[in-house]
Amino acid sequence: MNWLTNTLGTSIGKKLMMAVTGLSFIGFLTLHLAGNLSIYGGPEAFNAYAEKLHSLGPVLVAAEWILLALALVHIATGLLLFVQNLSARPQRYRVNKSGGGRTIGSATMPYTGLLILLFVIFHLANFSFVDKSHTTIFDVVSRAFADPVYVAIYIAAMVVVALHVSHGFWSLFQTLGLNHPKYMPAITVVGTILSLVFGIGFGFLPIYFSFFA
Amino acid sequence: MTRTIDLTLKVWRQKTADARGGFETLHATNISTDMSFLEMLDVVNDQLTLDGKEPIAFDSDCREGICGQCGAVVNGHPHGHQKGTTLCQLHMRHFNNGDTIVIEPFRARAFKLVRDLVIDRGALDGIIQAGGYISVNAGGAPDANTIPVSQEKADLAMDAAACIGCGACVAACPNASAMLFVSAKVSHLALLPQGKPEAARRALAMVRRMDELCFGNCSNERECEAECPKEISIVNIARLNREFIKAGFFSAVR
Amino acid sequence: MQLDAHIPAGPLAEKWDRHRFELKLVSPANKRKFTILVVGTGLAGGSAAASLAELGYNVKNFCIQDSPRRAHSIAAQGGINAAKNYPNDGDSIWRLFYDTIKGGDFRAREANVYRLAQVSNNIIDQCVAQGVPFAREYGGLLANRSFGGAQVSRTFYARGQTGQQLLLGAYGALSRQIAAGRVEMFTRREMLDLIVVDGQARGILVRNLITGEMERYAGDAVVLASGGYGNVFFLSTNAMNSNVTAAYRAYKRGALFANPCFTQIHPTCIPVHGTYQSKLTLMSESLRNDGRVWVPKKPGDKRPPNEIPESERDYFLERKYPSFGNLVPRDVASRATKEQCDMGKGVGETGRAVYLDFADAIRRDGRDVIEKKYGNLFEMYEKITAENPYETPMRIYPAIHYTMGGLWVDYNLMSTIAGLFVLGEANFSDHGANRLGASALMQGLADGYFIIPYTIGGYLADSSRQAVSTDHPAFAEAEKRVGEQVDKLLKIDGHRSVDDFHRHLGLIMWDYCGMSRNDEGLQKARGMVRELRAEFWENVRVPGRGEEFNQSLERAGRVADFLEFAELMIVDALTRRESCGGHFNEAFQTEEHEALRDDEHFAHVAAWEYTGDQSEPQRHIEPLVFENVHLAQRSYK
Repeated sequence: MNWLTNTLGTSIGKKLMMAVTGLSFIGFLTLHLAGNLSIYGGPEAFNAYAEKLHSLGPVLVAAEWILLALALVHIATGLLLFVQNLSARPQRYRVNKSGGGRTIGSATMPYTGLLILLFVIFHLANFSFVDKSHTTIFDVVSRAFADPVYVAIYIAAMVVVALHVSHGFWSLFQTLGLNHPKYMPAITVVGTILSLVFGIGFGFLPIYFSFFA
Repeated sequence: MTRTIDLTLKVWRQKTADARGGFETLHATNISTDMSFLEMLDVVNDQLTLDGKEPIAFDSDCREGICGQCGAVVNGHPHGHQKGTTLCQLHMRHFNNGDTIVIEPFRARAFKLVRDLVIDRGALDGIIQAGGYISVNAGGAPDANTIPVSQEKADLAMDAAACIGCGACVAACPNASAMLFVSAKVSHLALLPQGKPEAARRALAMVRRMDELCFGNCSNERECEAECPKEISIVNIARLNREFIKAGFFSAVR
Repeated sequence: MQLDAHIPAGPLAEKWDRHRFELKLVSPANKRKFTILVVGTGLAGGSAAASLAELGYNVKNFCIQDSPRRAHSIAAQGGINAAKNYPNDGDSIWRLFYDTIKGGDFRAREANVYRLAQVSNNIIDQCVAQGVPFAREYGGLLANRSFGGAQVSRTFYARGQTGQQLLLGAYGALSRQIAAGRVEMFTRREMLDLIVVDGQARGILVRNLITGEMERYAGDAVVLASGGYGNVFFLSTNAMNSNVTAAYRAYKRGALFANPCFTQIHPTCIPVHGTYQSKLTLMSESLRNDGRVWVPKKPGDKRPPNEIPESERDYFLERKYPSFGNLVPRDVASRATKEQCDMGKGVGETGRAVYLDFADAIRRDGRDVIEKKYGNLFEMYEKITAENPYETPMRIYPAIHYTMGGLWVDYNLMSTIAGLFVLGEANFSDHGANRLGASALMQGLADGYFIIPYTIGGYLADSSRQAVSTDHPAFAEAEKRVGEQVDKLLKIDGHRSVDDFHRHLGLIMWDYCGMSRNDEGLQKARGMVRELRAEFWENVRVPGRGEEFNQSLERAGRVADFLEFAELMIVDALTRRESCGGHFNEAFQTEEHEALRDDEHFAHVAAWEYTGDQSEPQRHIEPLVFENVHLAQRSYK
């Protein structure tokens, strides 16, 4: 297995792990968003969706563990890259300007990543690890969104997610070596659309709860 | 039209690698706008010499943008703000009277400072030594026209081979990564049929050496491409990634 | 001193084969016992170091830049010649040989030039195998273009960056040997003396440019590939660090310096435009394939070029040389340009420039085609001049570009000091009095890849040497001498900077020993150079210390040598009583102002021997014997 660690341990190897795990999170976000759309169908639809999800039993548990493993890889590798990259330039520049390559998304990846981590913990604590024996998930959600502070945090977090995806999506294709002059423009457009879809799709939910539900 | 301008320079001064460095403010007066940036520094240095001070140490050689020896970060841009231009080809007509110009050396852990703006880029040579070549001894080559190479491939290889090894990509990268440099050489050789036999070994060895030499990791911020004086594309980085995946997972090379 | 070129006997075409057979060999197991010191990492030095290491020798390689990839060979733009005859247009080894001899105005050695033409084809094969991305035709085969001084297309090219690509090929080969431990690379080192023991070159003294320390290296042979001396003119197309020091100090140790007055003026450079200028930039000769050179017919015509109608333009190269047109050799084109400017027809602010116009080519082939061929050159021109050559014709003027003269070497590329081999531009051997375009790359690589690997083995196998370590008194003596010079330079503390002296020297040389020379001017220049040299040693200011990174000190040492060497050039120019190639003495010209050779008295190499700082150098001659070509007045009409 020496060859595997030798390959994955290099800078490109680490980036590959970031790309593959990142891609799986994009998949997760897409499914999660699709499920959440059932909120617009009212309490019954949303609770039915949640019930159906939980009826999957071991499959769901397995999926959760896999997600957790992927997240650990993504976070650990990301932190390692962050530290290595900081130490690759011990003395910073006095004046540092962009030549036009950087975007807000790309320049803030490690920070948006950490914020997303914090949010996920917060999110799980609020929605997953709560006692739901006497209530429904819809009620949990609507109670949470009744709190304007929570709404603000949630919307801000979705902006952060959008930023992270705006760089992450095309970047993972680049890392996987899938940059082709014919297809790359389309990939970057899809990346931008995805980040908007995630940002608006998730971000509109608390607004819906606050004003329309 | 030729004009003359006056400038304030804030230049990084540091006597040796281990000495403490700092910015020194200098004045450059009566600078013709037809001068190159390095000629402006020549004028400043001549004056410093006559004033009994030590001139600014900076590297340059060909002064026509091909040797890759010159380079400094000027107002936050490696080789200055003009696109696709080395510092020696940057002309003063792109500056205005009264400008303040901050001049710093290329900074990276892998580039040790020698003096003032002069750095040691031996790490880039080290990466090439790991495999940036085709292993053929002098004497045994077949006729040059034995293997046809499509014009398109030859052009792409030439695009990558145009790298001058100046290190601006490393200087521009927020992570001080040398990926554009490495990818340019790997691409140049991987695109040509002559380079294929060693492609897997080369990609693995060069990337590993790059890591050993403490360059940072690429995070696809595209600053290298934006600041490269030869405008080498990050498409080459994707190609390197591809070559690396092929080598790491599908070749017999360990 | 009798100069023996050791040219092998036999018919021209068989000499090299025969010689290779006759050379003694060093067995593979014994090669590693020999240490070879190679100075320079350009096309000649880099390829020599790599090839010698491939054979198994221990090689130590030195360069003044921070990396072996930066040697000035990198700046060669146009291409490299070879007698492949891929275009089927009548080329052959013989034709390349003949063109080179004729282009050099019959002042080169037949045997050397023939060998050069023979190995030219191997160079292309070697470079393609190394991955040099030469231009290709649609079918995938190699493309060729035509170049000055030839009526066939034999030039291989990689856009306008051929030198870069060839050098990176050699650098790759060198890097491979460094990684293999066969070459030990020393960057930022400047050779300041040659160590000669028992008449044999046995080591070098170098200054570590970072720490300022003197370092001693001993070996069994020294290969000098330190380039040309064009920077004696201060303004030249050479790189800032190109210098004569290594070659000149070898000269002072007993190596003869041949034909120093043979300097090449390249016709297509961006004109001088200010007194602050640090160097000149070449526009590749390949531009003359499509660009047409012209001046207004009327002297003093100040109209912008686009307003001068066709009938009032003089395409003087096409008019004077109908069969070669704009593609006449460099010396001819340069002098014709100067002549037009001297008549007051020069253009631009200074009147020292002519137009190189692409309008016809763009009309004929379209802008895309021209851009593909010359895009990077046009861009470079625009960066420097802020003018767009697609719309306004380029302005060009000749500038110092290359030096044909160099240390004298025999057929084995060995100088008059045993064990000191000299390659590439640093030697004098192949280009006579004028070099053809795309031939410098060919010569550098021929010397390094295909000649020195054979001839150095012959020397090592055929001679004996005592063991010499760096403790030998010769090293101590050299170190003391060099150290004293450094101390002296630092102590003067005068009122003029090193560059100021260098610039001044350059002006003298350009005015009196440049494109056109005469006895009176040369005499005057000799006096001026002596005065300037005397002033230098009293009034130069070199700041800083010797034991540190000190660029002023580096330059001061080089300028000190240029100030001595310049006089040798002038003396050589004065004693060559003829005009040939790059050496044009106004007293010797045809009615049409072409160079007038004196084959009866000057068909020889003039090689100068150093006899001391206070005495005149001694002139030796090596007669040039032409058995295979007919000496003719060069005509490009």
